[in-house]
Amino acid sequence: MAMAATPSRPFDYLESLPGTTFYKLYQQPSTALAIFRRMLPDLAKCFVMALLYLKDPLPAANLEVWVKAESLKERDNALSILGRLHILSNTMVADNTRAYKITDPFASSLRQALTGAEKTQSFGVLSHLSNSDSRSIAELDEYARRQWEGVLGYMVGTSGLGIQRDVNLSKGVKQLLQAGHLVEIRDRRVEITQDGFAFVLQDVSVQVWHILMLYVESADAIGMSSVEVLSFVFLLSSLELGQSYDKKHLTSNQLRTLTDLADFGIVYQESPDTNQFYPTRLATTLTSDSSALSNPISGSLSGPTGGTTDKAGSGFIIIETNYRLYAYTSSPLQISLIALFTTLKYRFPNLITGKITRQSVRRAIEMGITADQIISYLATHAHPQMRKHNVSRSTSNQAGIPPSVLPPTVTDQIRLWQLERDRVKATAGFLFKDFVSLSEYEAPCRYAEEIGVLVWKSDRKRMFFVTRHEQVAAFLRSRK
Amino acid sequence: MNAVDATEHYETSARDPAPSLLTVILDTNPHAWALLENSLPLSKAIANILVFLNAHLACNYANEVAVVASHNQKAAWLYPRVRQNTASDTDGDAAMNGSSAEPGQVNKYRPFRIVEEQVTQNLRELMESTSGADIQGTNSTMMAGALTLALSHINRSSIAWAEAHGADMAAAGGDVPPTGGSTGTDTMGEGLQSRILIVSVSGATDSAHQYIPIMNAIFACQRLHIPIDVCKLSGDAVFLQQASDATKGVYMSLAEPQGLLQYLMMAFLPDQRSRRHLILPTRVDVDFRAACFCHRRVVDIGFVCSICLSIFCEPPENGDCLTCGTHLEMGDYGAKPAVVARKKKKKKRVNGQSNTATPTPTPTPGP
Repeated sequence: MAMAATPSRPFDYLESLPGTTFYKLYQQPSTALAIFRRMLPDLAKCFVMALLYLKDPLPAANLEVWVKAESLKERDNALSILGRLHILSNTMVADNTRAYKITDPFASSLRQALTGAEKTQSFGVLSHLSNSDSRSIAELDEYARRQWEGVLGYMVGTSGLGIQRDVNLSKGVKQLLQAGHLVEIRDRRVEITQDGFAFVLQDVSVQVWHILMLYVESADAIGMSSVEVLSFVFLLSSLELGQSYDKKHLTSNQLRTLTDLADFGIVYQESPDTNQFYPTRLATTLTSDSSALSNPISGSLSGPTGGTTDKAGSGFIIIETNYRLYAYTSSPLQISLIALFTTLKYRFPNLITGKITRQSVRRAIEMGITADQIISYLATHAHPQMRKHNVSRSTSNQAGIPPSVLPPTVTDQIRLWQLERDRVKATAGFLFKDFVSLSEYEAPCRYAEEIGVLVWKSDRKRMFFVTRHEQVAAFLRSRK
Repeated sequence: MNAVDATEHYETSARDPAPSLLTVILDTNPHAWALLENSLPLSKAIANILVFLNAHLACNYANEVAVVASHNQKAAWLYPRVRQNTASDTDGDAAMNGSSAEPGQVNKYRPFRIVEEQVTQNLRELMESTSGADIQGTNSTMMAGALTLALSHINRSSIAWAEAHGADMAAAGGDVPPTGGSTGTDTMGEGLQSRILIVSVSGATDSAHQYIPIMNAIFACQRLHIPIDVCKLSGDAVFLQQASDATKGVYMSLAEPQGLLQYLMMAFLPDQRSRRHLILPTRVDVDFRAACFCHRRVVDIGFVCSICLSIFCEPPENGDCLTCGTHLEMGDYGAKPAVVARKKKKKKRVNGQSNTATPTPTPTPGP
């Protein structure tokens, strides 16, 4: 489950880039640092750091004995990710032993990031403002919350309900959402797509990454280099919240990106002509895990529309074992999100109640929402009271299993309701077949399992199915 | 068919990995560093440690560091440092993050720079405040005080983290008794992961007078599942070996102090989560000697009070235990046992009867 923490989308996108793009990307220390922090599993981070200050390549055997025998799978997974991101390269040293080393632009950039001995403005230039002019963190949070909620509201269609009038979404935002197939325009009305439903239920940090990747993908179409945009995104992620940064050193493309991202609330600027900009929490937590975000944004996104970031990590949904749901919110956005998979019953000024039923879940699933999305939405927005209660209970019952915030009956039932419909799952990939002997079949199959790409295998038919074939093919070649 | 079994539905509830807090205790004993001057001067060691701290911060957005100096007169915070000039908070807690306005040098990730500036500045202050008389007074280091500071900081951070995340007090806070028979390693996935790294240069005998507080700190770490890693640049400290052994930390005595950075990066950087997958350098021959309670000498064989288990290097006066005051019957200790005659008897018995007659287990007879 090492990959579970990493949203696959940015990773997949990065992986699809050609090697030369990586070469350009890794020139920037901020990019190297962000990729190191965000994309790599723990073990891969250890490998990188261990190799970073070594002069000579480390023989593969030495690296391999470092890992415990029972963690082979994690090791191969880590090595495979490092290889796919062009961070680790295989070299041959004397007497034909295989050795690993960190590829060069990445190694030198990461070293520069750690020691800070270089000239580029990779981590932004602080601008010095008098205190009266600068924006407080609360103001930035409020701005980010308003903009982001505006985007989500536009998608779900709450704009007509009388809130968020003050948010003006620019044309670029709407085009981007359309280009990403998150919404469709039919008869001048905005309609959310299946992807869009899936999108709005995700965690905020995942949403931000999704939008940013859409933006990067569309950059080439509007005449910007995607590499430049991408490294600017990574630069933004390494800035500090509450500080203003100077625009003088930015290129025109970066300025353009900045203006576009301001519409999403990822950065704040008074107007496109001012000399400073502020990153908001949406930007600065890009390279963090979602739990490290401690949900001030999502908390305030979901909380009462007062907008004051009260206690960090405040959820608002209580769900009981009898499928009744209570949500302490008055935000039309959240109410319409909950209504996607709940039969609502009462609505009070600060509370709505409803029930999760077979019908309501099936309705949601027909719209393209998955059970996992519903469950993760409920879990991320669970009321602190529920966390406390369930943690104390589950640690006493089953030590060793991470405590689940939601009642297990509810999560299981939601999954079962999905299974009623969802009987076939498609996975794109590659089939290896026609092995001559069982031994010839077994080795690559085991290898595929170890690097975590194996989806299905049949010993009898001597076939196996993988999601990625390059490494398995290389493995097969190396055995010949 | 797809089955919904009990193992599957817990996967999604597994949280993202918790951040980890690394507390470095730097032994700044001037005597010991003077001896290391040729191989690894303090300035170079600090530079290496700073890179190591940055590497730790780089691993996770929410990772934290703390640095404590264990000087020869006192233990002092290097980072985060309480600022004396800033007014304390309303709740009496002083702000732990003094950030001064810093000009110039902008091409560095800001958290890295803040740590670096504070550590170097505070260390300079510490060195300047050390007078010649202080150094001549003692040649040991305040390891016990530094460990205690580190532990209280860890405790505070864990509680703050658990509060901020609304849960997991059982795993993070020290105030909840451990649950039933569950071993600690199971619950380690939650909460703030803390560990302590001691960069030690002072020798063993110097810290013998702090034996009791050090051991207490070690036991506290053991209970809270905080590994103590020890990076020994010179000398060999008895109690620190025990510390890393008892808390399942890493103990390394560096043969080549010049390569400090590589040692740090390879052996000490992996956090508890990664350590599950790695084979760590540990020590097999741990020195388990203790220091006596009366003269703080490190002893091989000593006297133990049968009531409170205090250790003494020689029988206490009047047979009264210095710790609990119990009067102990010493028997006729010190009197030479008249064994000469008996020994002969024994030999006869061995020949005649079975071994069971001998009161003490004798080594197995030779061939």
